[in-house]
Amino acid sequence: MLAAFSDMNWQLIATATLTAVFGVDAMYFAIAAIGLNVQFGYAGLLNFGQAGFMACGAYAIGMTAHYWNISFWWGIPMAIGYATVFGLIMGIPTLRLRSDYLAIVTIALAELLRLIVRSVTFKKYFNGSDGINGFGKTFTEETPFNPSGKYSLWPFDQNANLFGRVMLLLIFSVASVMVGRMIADRLRGPREKLRVILPVVIFALVMLGAKQTEYGGLGFKSLIVGWLVVFVIGALIYMLMRSPWGRVIKGIREDEEAVRSLGKNIYSYKLQALILGGAIATFGGMMFSLSRGSVQPDNYSRDTTFFVLTALVLGGLAKVTGSIVGPMLYWGISQFISVFLFELTQAWGGRVEIFGVPLITSSSQIGAWVQGLLGLMLVLLMVFRPQGLFGNRKEMALDGR
Amino acid sequence: MALTMFGLLASPVQAADITIKVRVQNQVKDEATGKSTKEPIAGVKVVVTGADGVVVAEGVTDDTGLAAIVVPAKADYTVTLDESTLPDGFVLADGESERAVTEDNFVTDSVTLNFFTGNAERTSIGYWSQLAQRLADGARFGLILAMCAVGLSLIFGTTGLTNFAHGELVTFAALIAFVLNNERGWSLLVAAPLAIVAGGMFGLVTNEAVYAPLRRRQIGLISQMVVSVGIAIILKNVYLAYFGGRVKAYAAFNRQTCTELGPVCVTPRDLTTAAISLLLLVLVGVALQKTRIGKATRAVSDNSELASSTGIDSQKIIRIVWFVGGMLAATGGIFRGLDEGVSPFLGANLLFLMFAGITLGGLGSAFGALVGSFLIGLFVEASTLGMPIMPGADWPAPFDWLHDGVPSELKAAPVYVVMIIVLLVRPQGILGRRERVG
Amino acid sequence: MDAEPLTVNGSADLSEVARVARGALEGVPATPGAGKPDPIMTAVGVRRSFGGIVAVDVDRVEIQRGSITALIGPNGAGKTTFFNLMTGFDAPDTGAWSFNGTSLEKVAAHRTAAMGMVRTFQLTKSLTKMSVIENMKLGATGQRGEKWWNGVLPFRWRAQETAIEARADELLARFSLDHMRDEYAGTLSGGQRKLLEMSRALMTNPQLVMLDEPMAGVNPALKQSLNKHIRGLRDEGMTVLFVEHDMDMVHDLSDWVIVMAEGRIIAEGTPDQISSNTAVIDAYLGTNQGKSLLEDM
Ligand SMILES: Nc1ncnc2c1ncn2[C@@H]1O[C@H](COP(=O)(O)OP(=O)(O)OP(=O)(O)O)[C@@H](O)[C@H]1O
Ligand SMILES: [Mg+2]
Repeated sequence: MLAAFSDMNWQLIATATLTAVFGVDAMYFAIAAIGLNVQFGYAGLLNFGQAGFMACGAYAIGMTAHYWNISFWWGIPMAIGYATVFGLIMGIPTLRLRSDYLAIVTIALAELLRLIVRSVTFKKYFNGSDGINGFGKTFTEETPFNPSGKYSLWPFDQNANLFGRVMLLLIFSVASVMVGRMIADRLRGPREKLRVILPVVIFALVMLGAKQTEYGGLGFKSLIVGWLVVFVIGALIYMLMRSPWGRVIKGIREDEEAVRSLGKNIYSYKLQALILGGAIATFGGMMFSLSRGSVQPDNYSRDTTFFVLTALVLGGLAKVTGSIVGPMLYWGISQFISVFLFELTQAWGGRVEIFGVPLITSSSQIGAWVQGLLGLMLVLLMVFRPQGLFGNRKEMALDGR
Repeated sequence: MALTMFGLLASPVQAADITIKVRVQNQVKDEATGKSTKEPIAGVKVVVTGADGVVVAEGVTDDTGLAAIVVPAKADYTVTLDESTLPDGFVLADGESERAVTEDNFVTDSVTLNFFTGNAERTSIGYWSQLAQRLADGARFGLILAMCAVGLSLIFGTTGLTNFAHGELVTFAALIAFVLNNERGWSLLVAAPLAIVAGGMFGLVTNEAVYAPLRRRQIGLISQMVVSVGIAIILKNVYLAYFGGRVKAYAAFNRQTCTELGPVCVTPRDLTTAAISLLLLVLVGVALQKTRIGKATRAVSDNSELASSTGIDSQKIIRIVWFVGGMLAATGGIFRGLDEGVSPFLGANLLFLMFAGITLGGLGSAFGALVGSFLIGLFVEASTLGMPIMPGADWPAPFDWLHDGVPSELKAAPVYVVMIIVLLVRPQGILGRRERVG
Repeated sequence: MDAEPLTVNGSADLSEVARVARGALEGVPATPGAGKPDPIMTAVGVRRSFGGIVAVDVDRVEIQRGSITALIGPNGAGKTTFFNLMTGFDAPDTGAWSFNGTSLEKVAAHRTAAMGMVRTFQLTKSLTKMSVIENMKLGATGQRGEKWWNGVLPFRWRAQETAIEARADELLARFSLDHMRDEYAGTLSGGQRKLLEMSRALMTNPQLVMLDEPMAGVNPALKQSLNKHIRGLRDEGMTVLFVEHDMDMVHDLSDWVIVMAEGRIIAEGTPDQISSNTAVIDAYLGTNQGKSLLEDM
């Protein structure tokens, strides 16, 4: 039985996993997670309708092609407009009430939005359950990449030009230093040394990982642009949360009555946080649909919200780095489990049994197993490591007092 | 337990042709007994056109009145019955020879459409009897929903947890009953009670294994809520892995003709489930009002610290609530399964409606959940029926959809609108109390 | 004010401001609802009931500007509820109340703070996962950087932030919290949290400070210094309304005392007048405070 492990294609597993870490899914999840972090991580608002906001972005772009027949660039202001309206509808009735109400109403309205966009009744606008396909061509076609070529994030890839090389090296080193130092600060032991060693180790790992990645040329531009969007939005939120506005938002998470007694209109701040987080999430929806030139209503079900939440909790709440690295790891783990299970099923002759209990009898079950395990990860994280990978243990320790 | 039970019974999933089944029947009502009988009509031609208007496939009904038409994919189609091929003297009861099929209608690999013929003036069902039928169906659905929601509400009341995995608790028993009934061949009359007890146990185990330890560790309610989300994901996918994503019907009680009861037509099965639901809900209500445990439950919901200080063991009450709530949810799940077929999404699809019912009734109030969910069930069914004012006069432009009612694909929409209005106008719900401020 | 000695009760030690305040109250009759010469806050016919319980039922009450007024009464008398009503945290069934002559009906809680009326809570509300200095800075009103569009433009609020920080540091030093400046507020002790909450409230530059049991759970030594701080507030021109169960403290600190029982104002007067008021003693009798009150006064 164990021999079967050596029959598995480990190279494929590694490539698939690492490609997912930097892939489109991780990118659009990261954008949505930054938004959810503003709401849930910083302001303490339990928004369970993030998929609805993402759908606002996706459909804003899709409708420029399907309904309005205008340049997809108009999708950006429209998405922000939709997110504002959607946020107001969700927030106005609930933000004066206990947090449960927000969770219930956001999850319900996001689901309603999905029912509406996939309905026959509104097919004229949203094209029903077929979704909207084949748009954003101008965006994909004006690309420096060869549509049929293969690309990686390895800076010394033969396809990379000088600019790309320098950019990748720069981004990798900055990110390694940031992440490495952050981890070092969370650890006990010789901090000063760790602050030097960890970034180097992480840089090496990232370079090794990047070498394994493999992307098609067609979507490569959206991938690069998408990660740039992640970076810009992340930086803006980082600054915003260090401003007096961020201070009020964090105060509301701690105790809204106290903040109210100090003369802040917490209802308005909560609405702002909800809408800002939603508006950010629309960019996730936009980048995802642009990368495929297609919008599918069922990509925005409640599961999407839940998995964005899982990714965010994995990275760590109320940390910008956490909300970016969390989705990368989430998709890495997800892809690893699914390719691993697939290979395992192949190697074991199409059937996985443990102690006579058939766990996998057909490859169509693998998807369910992957999602189930990710759900388990969410539970375990919430119980045993609520601060996630990047959260602050010291802050968590204050809860009990 | 769930794992092994399903594991033993996992059945291979086979691919089937995607078909639209059209059944054409003549409906005859015996004026003396009030019973209606249906006879198949053979030789009727049916044409299926795609969304682009191109004919995809055709078929002719056989001796059983059935035409099974294979279509290339699950997509949107229009099914047209060729009225000229109906036997002489037969007309379509509702005069509608065209029906729309949407991709969503293919919950399984096939969709069945029923066309009824008959003498036009007799079988065109009047508006009021249609309304009566909808209300009867709605009341039945409302009772089922209320059974599912009472547990959710009691759990919320006693522990503060908004349990996002409650839908999966509803599904659990429906699946267990399905496995016992369809795959083990047990009678549903045996399988259902067993599954209901299993549902109660499942609730209890969830509490003991997950939430009780979390409460002991003083994990916040928001974190507990997120944990319940995780549990919902796990359960749904375990169900999915072993059961597959299709909707399947119980072997028992699934072919019944309805008998007319005044203006409405119900099957004995539906009548029985409605009666049992009503009985159980009344029992719960009485128990909450009269019994010692019921009173203690309400005391814990009101103020658990105060209740503890008066000697009530609130952890014990919480265990009872999970068990009883689990059993009620299980019953609701099985009844729903009898109505609509069983799938891993059965309960999850009801969760939003339960939330709406609880919000309408008042968060944390068990009676509120009961009343609210019942009203929501009624409302969901009724909202798809139009409100034509009178022949000749009808609703002005922005309200013209009221003529035909809410399209059934959007029948959840009015519920959410009601929920938002309730939160704006009376956030404490019909029976809830105003929040303690400051 | 810094030079003010810690000794209490002797009018010889009173500051100039305090003497003026007491003088203004001298002619006021010691009857419930008595009118004051210069009221900063007035409440008329304010009533709030919860189900069957009438928590607050105040016919009329006025608070004299520039004075320290104590609000006392047995547990459950409705003091906290009264605070909630005045500051917009709760809405009364009926009644009218005003601050500086402006009616506060329909004024949201956060607006009352901006108008110069700030309150603290009986159960301290420190923002535990924020540092002490962040807690303080949150208190400042009219911050430009609190507008989201300014948030990412530091140059628009940096200067103001520096000024706010300086003021916060000054207050922290005054309340001896400066050594905790960069610690999480959650690490403070109960008494320190009371101090933090009070100094944070002062960051709003209030005219009227309403303190709900500022000294509950505070050790005697700290009580003395709190006592000093509260007088300091009055001497700076603020009006203080505070709830307190410790009769010694009330007697030492206040210029005027208002007594509530079962939601109503049953007595008003100077501390000396109150300690000899039989209605007050009756109200406390039967409760634990009854005995201690009798002993204290
Ligand atoms: N939100 C509420 N719901 C129900 N009853 C309330 C509420 N708030 C206050 N009460 C009741 O109103 C009465 C007055 O309460 P309040 O908190 O104002 O008393 P207090 O004078 O501040 O007492 P203490 O000295 O113990 O702080 C009490 O009987 C209390 O139970
Ligand atoms: Mg009080």
